[in-house]
Amino acid sequence: MSEFTREGLEPLATLGNDTPRIDAIERVTGQAKFTRDWKLPGMLYAKVLRSPHPHARIVSIDTSAAEALPGVRSVITYENAQVVWGAGSVNGGRQYNDPTKDATIHRRYIFNNPVRFVGDSIAAVAATDRHIAEEALTLIEVEYEQLPFVLEPEQALEEGAPQVYAEGNLCPDFRGEFAPMVSDIGDVEAGFEEADQIFEERYETGFIHNAQMEPRCSLAHWQGDKLVLYSPSQGISNCRHDTARDLGLEDHQVQVIAKYMGGGFGNKNQNQDADLIAATLSRRAGVPVMLEYSRREDWLGVHGRWPTVQYYRVGVKDDGEVTAMQMRAYSGMGPYRKNSGGISGMDAYGCPNRYREIHPVYTNRTTSGNFRAPSEPHGHYGVENMMDEVAYQIGMDPVEFTLLNMRRPTEEQQFTNYSLEEVIRNGAERFNWPARRRVIPGSDEGPIKRGAGFSFMMFRAGVGTSSAIVRVNANEEYTLYVGVTDIGPGAKTTMGMIAAEALEVPLSQVEVVWGDTDRCPYSVGESGSRTTIMTGIAVVEAAEDLKRQIADQGMPSGTDVLIASATPRPTTDGMTRQCFGAHFVEVEVDTRIGTTKILKYTTVHESGRIINPSTARDQIRGATIQGIGQALYEDLLYDPQSGQPLTPGYYRARHLTHKDIPDIDVHFIEVDDGYGPFGAKTAGESGIILAPAAVANAVANAIGKRMTSLPITRDKILGAMS
Amino acid sequence: MKALTNVNATSFAEAASAAQSARQQGQAVAFSGGGTDLLQQIKDGTDNADVIINLRTVGDGRSIGSDGAAVAIGGLVTLTELSQDPLVLSGLSAIAQAAGSVGTPQIRNVGTLAGNVTQRPWCWYYRNGFNCFKAGGNECFSVNGENGQHAIFGGGPSYIVHPSDVAPALVAFDAVFQVTGPDGDREVSAEDFFVLPITNPERENSLAENELLTGVRIPNVSANTVSTYHKIMDREAWTHAEVGVAAVIQRDGNEVQNAKVVLAGVAPIPWRVQAVEEFLAGQQIGGAVAREAGEIGIQDAQPLSNNAHKLPMITTAIERAILNLAAG
Repeated sequence: MSEFTREGLEPLATLGNDTPRIDAIERVTGQAKFTRDWKLPGMLYAKVLRSPHPHARIVSIDTSAAEALPGVRSVITYENAQVVWGAGSVNGGRQYNDPTKDATIHRRYIFNNPVRFVGDSIAAVAATDRHIAEEALTLIEVEYEQLPFVLEPEQALEEGAPQVYAEGNLCPDFRGEFAPMVSDIGDVEAGFEEADQIFEERYETGFIHNAQMEPRCSLAHWQGDKLVLYSPSQGISNCRHDTARDLGLEDHQVQVIAKYMGGGFGNKNQNQDADLIAATLSRRAGVPVMLEYSRREDWLGVHGRWPTVQYYRVGVKDDGEVTAMQMRAYSGMGPYRKNSGGISGMDAYGCPNRYREIHPVYTNRTTSGNFRAPSEPHGHYGVENMMDEVAYQIGMDPVEFTLLNMRRPTEEQQFTNYSLEEVIRNGAERFNWPARRRVIPGSDEGPIKRGAGFSFMMFRAGVGTSSAIVRVNANEEYTLYVGVTDIGPGAKTTMGMIAAEALEVPLSQVEVVWGDTDRCPYSVGESGSRTTIMTGIAVVEAAEDLKRQIADQGMPSGTDVLIASATPRPTTDGMTRQCFGAHFVEVEVDTRIGTTKILKYTTVHESGRIINPSTARDQIRGATIQGIGQALYEDLLYDPQSGQPLTPGYYRARHLTHKDIPDIDVHFIEVDDGYGPFGAKTAGESGIILAPAAVANAVANAIGKRMTSLPITRDKILGAMS
Repeated sequence: MKALTNVNATSFAEAASAAQSARQQGQAVAFSGGGTDLLQQIKDGTDNADVIINLRTVGDGRSIGSDGAAVAIGGLVTLTELSQDPLVLSGLSAIAQAAGSVGTPQIRNVGTLAGNVTQRPWCWYYRNGFNCFKAGGNECFSVNGENGQHAIFGGGPSYIVHPSDVAPALVAFDAVFQVTGPDGDREVSAEDFFVLPITNPERENSLAENELLTGVRIPNVSANTVSTYHKIMDREAWTHAEVGVAAVIQRDGNEVQNAKVVLAGVAPIPWRVQAVEEFLAGQQIGGAVAREAGEIGIQDAQPLSNNAHKLPMITTAIERAILNLAAG
């Protein structure tokens, strides 16, 4: 079930109504054209040769037999195509910062020597069909000198560990210094002295792949000095800019087209190495080149969520007040740093003494990078299990413990609005928390045990710059130009709805032009839950401008049009803007065989005003499902002896099937804080942040044992119970 | 994907001789029933077939019927058909349940009885291209590696687990396997069909080159026979058994006259636990007896470094399977 609470909110004409996606017909009838559906005259097909070793130096490569194979048009390798993939490795993981990319110490090229993980790319072939390209790969002779490898981040920092880079395995920060990320607030030692009790625990989380349905692909087509790139990008503007940078072009020389795509979940931010490889092959061959990754390549060659090890120390007074929180942690980045390696969650507490030290570490596993809420779900799992354990150890209800200790607005840091307490109390009541949780964890008689867990969060909902253009003609037909793509949340529909509301016309009068950098202005990209807010604000401003023009000049007549554009630079007046959420889960654990079943799942979110209830609801559900996968199922296992991955792909990584997915109740408390388009906040990443923490807490409550590593598989439960 | 030759066979005998002549020309051959797993194996390079002998064009082997003394099930019967057939459901329900628990509806609609029983192991070393015993190599990488899913009975030198759900049920019903080769037909008992790695570490069964499984015959069961298949999976669908139990019992009231108990997912072949069968004979089915049977079921287990969690799963699965067969 789902419910939207809108007390005090004025109803609007379009927003807040369940609205089918405006491209639903195209999608369900197969008319929607995805990147792989494009066919251009003379188009070649490309394949990438990848390292079979976790760490090796290439001694020699011989492509002559591959080049001689009939149908092969171009072969490129690390020797003759040295293109830096700027977004593939950045100092400090700062993905959107040009100077940092320029200063990056450990660069990732489209082809690499030495190779540093199983799947690292070393060469590519373009041929007249896929099978010839594949056969050509088998004809490339490579001689490797295998090097020692390291898989686990803590081991990688030990004395004498194999070195991924000569400078060592601790990743450089954005200044290029080899130092952990430290946040030091208050005086943590003084906080521990103040405490009556101190608790410590180690938590561990695994590598999770984004597992979007559509593997990466790219179709490159040069038209003179201009590159047209058909690529399923989560941010066409950023993809264009990064691709131009990497290829030594100006932004206007690159056109990125991403109309329909099969999901991203953070796997398709910025540009892809596939874009650069396809573009390089296409330039050499003089014809368009399509490069498609197989599922296995997509799993291993790109990136997923970083695995972590987190050590916590928490000081608490007997009355439940937390006086000190400390974390030392390690994030496994693989051999390239595509993102920060962050581990968040501690900042949801008000405790004045907090120390956090995160070591992003190079390993010879596949690369870690963006994944829906990149730093959050694993961090919230660690922090929320730590705090849940502390609450039970001192005999407190975790909800009461949270209400006592969670971060609240202060004089120094105001919020645009703060509804966290309301969200938590609302969820506890809907879920019937007091009846479902076991005051004494694991106290059910018999082998089938039930218990309940909860988690809470606040997550950034800041404003920022994006652009929009609106046009109207004499027939009162409005056209909205926005540089969004549609990775799943329905941005195209959402933008159309915001425009319709602002223009005070029905949605049917608004056509949306999207997904093409030559036709649409800059948009922030479908990452960081930003599009609805930032591009939405631009749409509202452009619409307001157009309405003013209409008021001044009247509707255009004949062939005239009126056009308005906006690139606003909004602020939140020094306040922080956050969305809020709480998840409550009841599980049943069969402790004889270690099976965990979710019986009830209640979510409550405050994401500002909801634009389209049906897609907002699906965002929370979909993200929660992914989070349950991280909690109970998914992992990328490596063979410790050989450094080979063992569980890539949907079957091995054990993604939830429809039969595994529980009913997930979604409730929104709607508010309008006066910022964002009609008060809208973020929803896309919220659901995944809370699920691993809540599910793990529920398991602990059911069985009376804390599960300190994800995923919580039956061997871990049976091990704890034996 | 490599270039392949497809041969549409119209009979099992033709399929066997086509395989033989292709092999004589130095080509690698694979029989394809549903082909649900084979094509992926060829793409992954774990099967090097040059020639696919397509069995979907074979007319025989698609029926389920009784010849008076036995129920005959064709090798090309799909798992969906097997799981829904009235004859199978009425007397051989463990087979129907096992077939219905395989993979997904899509796989069951295409996958066949013979294909399910003769599918290659799903060991993650073998499937990821390691040169292990199953790939013709000389090592089992699970021994010193990740062996959480590997064998705790009958292992060595390979520690794969047999992936079929249907096979343990067939063994429990004393099925006779029908085999066709270039030199004609032969029959082999279900138990002799499967071979331990100590006998042949590369293969899971006794099919010779160019032979194929064409069907099974299950001797008529007495009216007091009951059966069940109990499967523990790591998710609710699209996965193989972590532990499965096929149990067939002849009972008088609640007293066991005779029992057959065969495990899935724990050994390189469907694993009969004879000690459990012997214990059950003459016992009244009930909680304590079922529990003890479960404990007896792991007497000879030899877990590897990381799969001891299968022990409580086996005891529980046996216990629950037997309780399922209590009268009334």
